Amino acid sequence: MAGEEQESKTKGFRLLGILDVQNTPCARDAILHGAGGSLAAGLLHFLATSRVKRSFDVGFAGFMLTTLGSWFYCRMNNAKLRVQQRMIQDGIKNKVVYEGSVLDPTNKPGAPGPS
Amino acid sequence: MAHPSQLGFQDAASPVMEELLHFHDHALMIVFLISTLVLYIIVAMVTTKLTNKYILDSQEIEIIWTVLPAVILILIALPSLRILYLMDEINDPHLTIKAMGHQWYWSYEYTDYEDLGFDSYMIPTQDLTPGQFRLLEADHRMVIPVESPIRVLVSAEDVLHSWAVPALGVKMDAVPGRLNQTAFIASRPGVFYGQCSEICGANHSFMPIVVEAVPLEHFENWSSLMLEDASL
Repeated sequence: MAGEEQESKTKGFRLLGILDVQNTPCARDAILHGAGGSLAAGLLHFLATSRVKRSFDVGFAGFMLTTLGSWFYCRMNNAKLRVQQRMIQDGIKNKVVYEGSVLDPTNKPGAPGPS
Repeated sequence: MAHPSQLGFQDAASPVMEELLHFHDHALMIVFLISTLVLYIIVAMVTTKLTNKYILDSQEIEIIWTVLPAVILILIALPSLRILYLMDEINDPHLTIKAMGHQWYWSYEYTDYEDLGFDSYMIPTQDLTPGQFRLLEADHRMVIPVESPIRVLVSAEDVLHSWAVPALGVKMDAVPGRLNQTAFIASRPGVFYGQCSEICGANHSFMPIVVEAVPLEHFENWSSLMLEDASL
């Protein structure tokens, strides 16, 4: 059983030896977006100015900004999803525990009782 | 559960540990970007043909390298403080357990309803059965109900120890004559291992902590059985 679990968990590739891009949520997408942004920014700058070294600098700045932007956007969405997931879990637990009672979260308020 | 050659954290088994994992990812991404920036600057400095021996100051770059680190520190500090206060929230525990450190074993007391107490010694390597983990298994596990807030009061009978379970995001020093409190919620059933985290003598490495999170019904059955065994 332990062997099966270890096979299914992919051995992460660590960028610079520290960042596990495969097993860290949003890391792979952020790095890929960063690479794309870096390439686009550097290439555009070079086409406009023909300055090689400065284009490398612009490309690197593009990498940093795109990676950061993609990372924070993805993490924000991730955090919202986790909050929703927790609320749903609590809601299911409360429904099971309080079903049929006054505290049942699915009770509709104001429903007229039998006369 | 830790696996061989592991570098990162274990999978989270409590909401606090999940938050800690996410914060760690966030801080590590910032560290990665700073390292990349420094590496790029080093390569640029080494390969440049520009040399000017008479630059004394430059307002623009000095502003950048003052403001940017401050911004980065704020980006790290805000989530960190959030988690710090999250860990300190009063969560109305359903169960209180006392974990006492001895040389060289832990003892657990469940005294909320009945007087239940037992010692937890490491299972020696020669007594392990196939599938058990060396230096991590204990003869009696601390069993807790899953999805219930648990308060653990940690202390020690002799020297300093420390009660730690990485998967639950818990570590608390066991100080003789002092009662330290920590709390957690096990969000999934399972067995979670920890080891004493304060040097306490010759067998400091051989007094593991094993927490088993089970459904409430199983916990009630287990506590009844333990009380029966204790009374015999």
